[in-house]
Amino acid sequence: MPDAFTFKPIRELAGLIAGKEVSPVELTQTFLDRLERYGPHYNSLVTLTAERAFQTARQAQAEIAAGRGRGLLHGIPWGAKDLLATGGGIPTTWGAAPFRDQQFDHDATVVVRLEAAGAPLAGKLAMIELAGGMGYIHPDASLTGPPKNPWDTGRWTGGSSSGSGAAVSAGLVPFAIGSETWGSILIPANNCGLAGLRPTYGRVSRYGAMALCWTLDKLGPLCLTADDCGIVLEALSGPDTNDPSTWPEPFAYDPTYNPGRRYRVGVPRGVLDEASDAVRENFEAALENLRDVADVDEMEFPGFPYVEVTSVILMVESASAFEDFLAEGGPLELSGTGWHGRSPYARPAVLATDYIKALRLRGVMAKQVDEVMAGYDAIAAPTAMNTATPIDEEFRSRSMTSAGAGDLMGSIGNGCGLPSTSVPSGFDGDGLPTGIQFMSRAYDENVCLAIAREYQARTEWHRRHPPEPEVRDS
Amino acid sequence: MTTDANNSLEQDLLFAIVKEKYGHLLTDEQLAGVRNAIVGQRDVFRPIREYRLTNGVEPFSTFTPFRGD
Repeated sequence: MPDAFTFKPIRELAGLIAGKEVSPVELTQTFLDRLERYGPHYNSLVTLTAERAFQTARQAQAEIAAGRGRGLLHGIPWGAKDLLATGGGIPTTWGAAPFRDQQFDHDATVVVRLEAAGAPLAGKLAMIELAGGMGYIHPDASLTGPPKNPWDTGRWTGGSSSGSGAAVSAGLVPFAIGSETWGSILIPANNCGLAGLRPTYGRVSRYGAMALCWTLDKLGPLCLTADDCGIVLEALSGPDTNDPSTWPEPFAYDPTYNPGRRYRVGVPRGVLDEASDAVRENFEAALENLRDVADVDEMEFPGFPYVEVTSVILMVESASAFEDFLAEGGPLELSGTGWHGRSPYARPAVLATDYIKALRLRGVMAKQVDEVMAGYDAIAAPTAMNTATPIDEEFRSRSMTSAGAGDLMGSIGNGCGLPSTSVPSGFDGDGLPTGIQFMSRAYDENVCLAIAREYQARTEWHRRHPPEPEVRDS
Repeated sequence: MTTDANNSLEQDLLFAIVKEKYGHLLTDEQLAGVRNAIVGQRDVFRPIREYRLTNGVEPFSTFTPFRGD
């Protein structure tokens, strides 16, 4: 049975700590126990970091007792996607067998910042190997086995921040950090029934995170609520001399943000064309709900080859980031099956002029998309067109190396570096969550979070949680 | 030569480069997968190449000279 602290948003947990109803050490013990007991059940845990967590928790406890509180995250445990470097002999596997013993002598900036906020790191969480960077089509592409969805362990969590999604969804940690190059925060949020925030590119330092694609990689939170995402992003954000792409202004979360008028929400024309019935129905119901506070209008993005531009950038930068790995035959040692049709060895076969043209087009795209988005507070769309797919099946036919039907919101959002937050919008007939995403202009995280909060204030989907699994003690 | 023929030649040449660099690592089946992927990449390049940009449109990334002090 879940204890009194599981499935509580950060603000509530912080209140319990402030009210001395639980101490940071007790809270850390609770979540370490849950991670250790249930993490392997979901294939979501790589390394438990108990010693390090208790060190931070004990310090938090002493500081809070002395009246030196550091804020809402002080004493709140969390989990890190295992592509974030951690020193002190803790492995950082990148989710991949060839890197299972990899260690760093430094911490990623996000780890430093969360620990500076007093948040104990409870564990390193599973992920799709190399964040899916070698092209994967099957959930088995993970060092710790196919990541199981807490809503139905016969289904997949989505990737590549798979363990981050499963661990928060199952109440194994109050929040987790994931990364997104293209879909890797929002899709696990969708599949696991969570709030996920993909920040603006440059909002959060990438220093110490595995590089898959330098100009597309973002780090962000997976949480129980949109409010939690704002709290965590504030702690993560800010300039970092180790990452020249970071934006000079830190993000100041405003949990009371309101434009002082009705919100303006755009819905891309045809965005439901490929949606399943449940996704369509839940999305339309969500829009109807939002009409209490928002004008909702159909819109259209300017015509650009968004999917192709973002794909070329991803192909070339990942081929360069893993040039040595490719040359040494590393992809042949990965766990994922069926990559041949999406071969990483095809990625170096891109002419330099095509890559540079994609970078030139990206600027034109970003400016014209921003002009259109200036008319809206957010663009709303289903986060994914289907609920979680079976864990033993290939999850999609769309290839990164063929345009296919494409992922309009994902290619625009990631290609242009825009923030988007996903929150649960309901369930399908099998009890699997669906999600709605709100994408805003660059650096407008407060705006997309405000709309997501408005929606969550009017719905109860985020208050539902998966059943506690039956796990036998060994 | 037609555009299709040009494309086919281009994919053949790109595949030859990949085979030269990585062929010793890969089985025939894997090489066939690489070839298929390279052929598929034509569809990615086509709309990018067809989009016309004026001379002054620069890559959307800025080079900044570095000075350490």
